[in-house]
Amino acid sequence: MNLLPDFRTLRPATAAEAAAALAGAGARPLAGGTDLLPNLRRGLGEPAVLVDLSALPDFTAVAVLADGGLLIGAGATLEDLAAHPTVRNDFPVLAQAALGVAGPTHRAAATLGGNLCQDTRCIFYNQSEWWREGNGWCLKLKGDKCHVVAKSDRCYATYHGDVAPALMVLDAAIDIAGPAATRTVPVAELFAEKGDRHLTLEPGEFVAAIRVPPPSGWRSGYEKARIRDAVDFPLAGIAVALRRDGDILAGLRVAVTGTNSAPLTVAVPDLVGRPWDRESAARLADAVRKTSLVLKTTVMGAKYRRRVAQGLATRLAATLWAAG
Amino acid sequence: MTIRKLEGKAREGNVGVRTPLVDGIEKVTGKARYTADMPAAGALVGRILRSPHPHARIVSVDVSAAQALDGVAAVCTGEDCRVPYGVLPIAENEYPLARDKVRYRGDPVAAVAAVDEATAAAALKLIRVEYEKLPAVFEARKAMAPGAPVLHDDKPGNVLRDVHNEFGDAEAGFRAARLVREKSFRFAEINHAHIEPNATLAEYDPQRGWLTLTTTTQVPYYVHLKVAQCLEMDSARIRVIKPFLGGGFGARTETLHHEIIAALLARKAQGTVRVVQTREETFLAHRGRPDTEIRLKLGLTAEGRITACHMEVVQRGGAYAGYGIITILYSGALLHGIYDIPAIKHDGWRVYTNTPPCGAQRGHGTVDPRAAFEALLNEMAVELGLDPAQVRRANLIGTVPYTTAYAQKVMSYGLPECIDKVVAASGWNERRGTLGRGRGLGFACSHFVSGTSTPKHWTGEPHATVNLKLDFDGSITILTGAADIGQGSNTMVAQVVGEVLGVDWGRLRVISADSALTPKDNGSYSSRVTFMVGNAGIDAAQSLKKILVEAAARKLDAHPCDIETDGEIYRVAGGQDSGLSFAEVAKAALIDTGTLTVKGTFTCPTEFMGDKKIRGSAIGATMGFCYAAQVVEASVDEVTGKVTAHKVWVAVDVGRALNPLAVEGQIQGGVWMGMGQAMSEETRYDEGRMLHGNLLDYRVPTMAESPDIEVFIVESIDPNGPFGAKEASEGMLAGFLPAVMDAVWDAVGIRPDTLPLTPDRIVDWLDASQEAAQ
Repeated sequence: MNLLPDFRTLRPATAAEAAAALAGAGARPLAGGTDLLPNLRRGLGEPAVLVDLSALPDFTAVAVLADGGLLIGAGATLEDLAAHPTVRNDFPVLAQAALGVAGPTHRAAATLGGNLCQDTRCIFYNQSEWWREGNGWCLKLKGDKCHVVAKSDRCYATYHGDVAPALMVLDAAIDIAGPAATRTVPVAELFAEKGDRHLTLEPGEFVAAIRVPPPSGWRSGYEKARIRDAVDFPLAGIAVALRRDGDILAGLRVAVTGTNSAPLTVAVPDLVGRPWDRESAARLADAVRKTSLVLKTTVMGAKYRRRVAQGLATRLAATLWAAG
Repeated sequence: MTIRKLEGKAREGNVGVRTPLVDGIEKVTGKARYTADMPAAGALVGRILRSPHPHARIVSVDVSAAQALDGVAAVCTGEDCRVPYGVLPIAENEYPLARDKVRYRGDPVAAVAAVDEATAAAALKLIRVEYEKLPAVFEARKAMAPGAPVLHDDKPGNVLRDVHNEFGDAEAGFRAARLVREKSFRFAEINHAHIEPNATLAEYDPQRGWLTLTTTTQVPYYVHLKVAQCLEMDSARIRVIKPFLGGGFGARTETLHHEIIAALLARKAQGTVRVVQTREETFLAHRGRPDTEIRLKLGLTAEGRITACHMEVVQRGGAYAGYGIITILYSGALLHGIYDIPAIKHDGWRVYTNTPPCGAQRGHGTVDPRAAFEALLNEMAVELGLDPAQVRRANLIGTVPYTTAYAQKVMSYGLPECIDKVVAASGWNERRGTLGRGRGLGFACSHFVSGTSTPKHWTGEPHATVNLKLDFDGSITILTGAADIGQGSNTMVAQVVGEVLGVDWGRLRVISADSALTPKDNGSYSSRVTFMVGNAGIDAAQSLKKILVEAAARKLDAHPCDIETDGEIYRVAGGQDSGLSFAEVAKAALIDTGTLTVKGTFTCPTEFMGDKKIRGSAIGATMGFCYAAQVVEASVDEVTGKVTAHKVWVAVDVGRALNPLAVEGQIQGGVWMGMGQAMSEETRYDEGRMLHGNLLDYRVPTMAESPDIEVFIVESIDPNGPFGAKEASEGMLAGFLPAVMDAVWDAVGIRPDTLPLTPDRIVDWLDASQEAAQ
C-alpha cells in the first residue's frame, strides 16, 4: 500500500487559531479529506501539518437567510447540501452539482470548501510516485517540464470541481478567513488560471463560508459530461443560470469547469435582451469554445471535451429557457 | 443419478432451490478474512522495484546500499531466481524478477523485505539499476512489421503463436452466398478490475525448510507448482492456502510475479513477508483481455443461412506468453459449437508487445470474436431484410449429440429456447425499430465451455477429486481443492453432496483450497468447477452413501439393497420399523473403521478431449456448452454521445440450475462485465506508460450504470453434467457487446466497429453518418 507521509494534525477551535496554524510552514487545511488524503498517499505533497477545520464554530451549517439567500459553512458536506430542501428548490444548480460529485460515500465526507479548493488534475500528475519519477516528474510537482504542452512554462493541470461553476452562476461570494479580517470575494476570484497554483488564498487563509444571494427569478441547472454516472470527475461541466422575461432573455450566466486550470465564467453579453433562438445557441457555443482551453490532461481526448462543453451549454440553456 | 422430487419438501440447500451462499454470512458481516487481513505478527513488508522503461537491457543492479539499510531483512533480484515460469509448460518465459531484460514498464527488477513500509520504500530508493534502453513497440501490427524491436530472441517476428485452420471450403461457401460482407473490428484491451488487490503472505520456517503461502489466487495448485519450480524447492515442503478472495475473473488463473517474489523474500529473510500490491501494481500484473483486431468475412444465403465464415484475429498479447497460445486458439475454437456452419476459416496471431502481459479473462478468447461475428450477422440480416433472431434460428444446430468440425461434442443445446424466451420477454417483434430516435433494441447470442477437458499440466490424474470425512459427531466435512473465488463453488459442492446423501444442510461443512487439507484441484478457470468438481462431489457422496447403507443393513440385519432412505432416516423397505436416525447410522458405520474418509473423482472421457488430428483442438474441447441469448435496450444521447443500457433480457441454458439464486447472480455478473467492456472499460498507455492504473481512469461501471438484468434460466439437462448442470457465468458475457452495438444502430442508425462505446467515439460516428447523409 502507499504510505501517508508523516505529518502533525491540529484541530483548532477558532478561526483565529486556524489561521495561525495555516500560516505555518508546510501547513495544509483538512476537511473531508477525500481529495487531499488520496493525493498524499500518492506522494502528491508532503505537508508537515494538517489543520483539521472540523471543530470551527458554524463550520458545517447551512443557513437560509431572511432574504432567501444562503450562508453555507465551508464544512457543510456535499450530501447535506444536495439534500437540503431550500437548496433543492431554490438553487437547483447547486444541488445538482453537489449530487454530481463522486459517489455517495465521498459526498458524505466531502465538504463544500474542500470541493472548491480541490487540487487540479492531470494524467501526468495523478499518478504514483514511481510513475512520475519514471516520467521525469512534471512542472506541477518536482519537475521543470510539462508533458501536456511541450516547452510550456506554465502548468496546464485542469480544475475539475463541480460546485464552483454552480456557485459562480448564482453570483455567490466566499468568506475568506485568515490572519487579517475576513474578506468576502466573488467565487471566481478564489481561482487563478494556473495549474500548479490555482487558488488565490494567501498563507493562513482558508475558505470559511459561502454566501449565495436570493434566487430572484433566476432558473439554474448544472450538467456534467462523464462516462460513468458516478465517481467520475467532469470531462466538462456547465452551469447555467437564466432569467426570462416573456420572450426576452433577461439574464444569463454561464460557467464552465473541467476545461481549464480554473472554473471560468463564460462571457455572454450579446445574448441578453433578445429571445433565445438558434442564433443564441450558436453564439453561446462559440463563447464556450472561446473561453475553454482543453488540453490533453485526461484519458479522454481533448476534442470530445471541447465539443461536449458546447453541446451541454446550449442544451442546458435551451432547457431552462423552455421551462419558462 | 436421480433427482429427488422437490415438491412439498424443497429445502434450502437442495438442488434446484434458491440457496444463499454457505460463506455469504462471513462476507456481508465483514468477518471474512482476505489475504491482507491475515494476522501475522512481525511480518516483514515486501515491496517491489519496477522498471521505468518499457524495454531495456539490465546492465547492472546494485543493491548494496539497500541491503545495508537498518531494518532491511532481504533484497532479491533476478540473481535469486534462475528458473522462468509461465502457466503453459510450452511457453515459460517470465522471471519473477527480470534477469536480462525488462519488457514492459512495471516489469519487476528487485524486491525488498523490511521491518516496515517506510523502510521498505526507503530501501527501494537505494537500489541502483543501470539500464541500456532499447526501442520498444506497443502495437501488435507494428510489432509484426519487419525491423520491429524483438522482445524474445526465440520469436524474431514477435509472434508468440499463429494459428491457421480451415474446416469445410470457405471460398466455396462465399461463392454460394447471396450476400458476402467483410468488416474490421477493434476491441480495446480491458482488465478484470477485481476489487481485492493482489496480495501474498509468505511464511518461511527456516528450521524445517517449510514455506506456507496464503495468496489471492484462483489456482492454488498452479501457484504451488510454480513456486516450487522457481524456488527449486521440494513441493512437499510448500503449503498453499487461498482464503476468501475478492474476485478473480481470470486475473488470477496463473501464478503471478508477486506470489513468487513473496516466497523468494521470505526464504531469503528466513521469516514471514507480506506483499500487498497497490491498485496500480494490480493493474500492472494485468492478464486481461488483449487489444484485438478482427477482420471478419461472412456469407449468407437469402434465407439467412451462414455459408462460410473467415475470421482473422490479431491480439496484442503484451510482454510475456502467459495464456497467450490458449487465448488465440480459443478465438478460433469458439467459432464452433454455437451454430451449424458449413465452412469456418480462422487465422490468428498472438503478438508480443512492450505492454503488461495479457491473460485469461472471463469469456477467455471468445468475447471479441463472438462480438464481431454477431455484430456483422446483425448488420447482414438487416441488409437481407431478415430479422436478427430469425437469422439465428436459421443456423441452429439440428439435433444433439452433435460433433463440431473442431471435434467438440454438443450434448445439450438450449439455445433455441433461449432465443424464444428473450424475443418474447423483450417484445422484440413488436418493439424493435419502434422506440423512436435515440432508443433501440439489440440482439445477440453467445456461448462458452463448461471446463476445458484437457488440463494444462497433464498428469494422468482425474480432473477433479473431492474427499468427504464423516466423524463420530455425525458431521460431514467436504474437502475440495476448488477455489471459491466468489462464484459459489463451496455452496455448489455442498449442495450436490447434500442432495446425494439426503442429509440435513447443517451437517455439511466445506473446507476448500488448502493444500495441507484438501485434495488437489486444478483451479477455478474455464468454468470447469461445477461440471468437474460437482461430478466428483456426487461420486464421493455416492461412495459414502453406499457405506452408510451397508452399515444400516448390518445394524438392521438386512441386505443393503433392501435399505431405503428418506432423508436422514434409513430403514428396511416395506418394514414397519421407524428406522435408524442419521446419528445411529453414522455410529454404526464407524464401528471397526473409525473416522470415515471417502473419495470421489471425475475424469473427462477421452472423446471429449478434441481430435489429435486437429492441431489445437485440445483447446475449446469441453463436455458441455452453456448457451445464451440476450436483448439489450439502450439509448443514445446525441449531444453527449453517451450510451445508456436500460434493460437486459438474458436467457441462459445452464443445463440445470443447481442453485437458481447463485446462477442468477452469476448471469447478471457476466452480463454486467460484458457491459463494462462494451460501454466504458479500456486500458490506456502513453508510450508504454500505463495511464489507467486506478479506478477513476479505468472506468469499470458503477451501480449507477447498471441496467435491470432480467434473467431467464433455461434447463437443457446435460447428460454428463452434475444433475444436468453446465457452466453458468461466462457464456452470456460476450452477447452483451454485439447486442448493445445493435441497439445503438436501432437507436441512431450507426454500426459501431470499435469498443468501448465511449461518448467520443459515438459523437465521431454520428458526425460521420451525418456527413455521409448530406
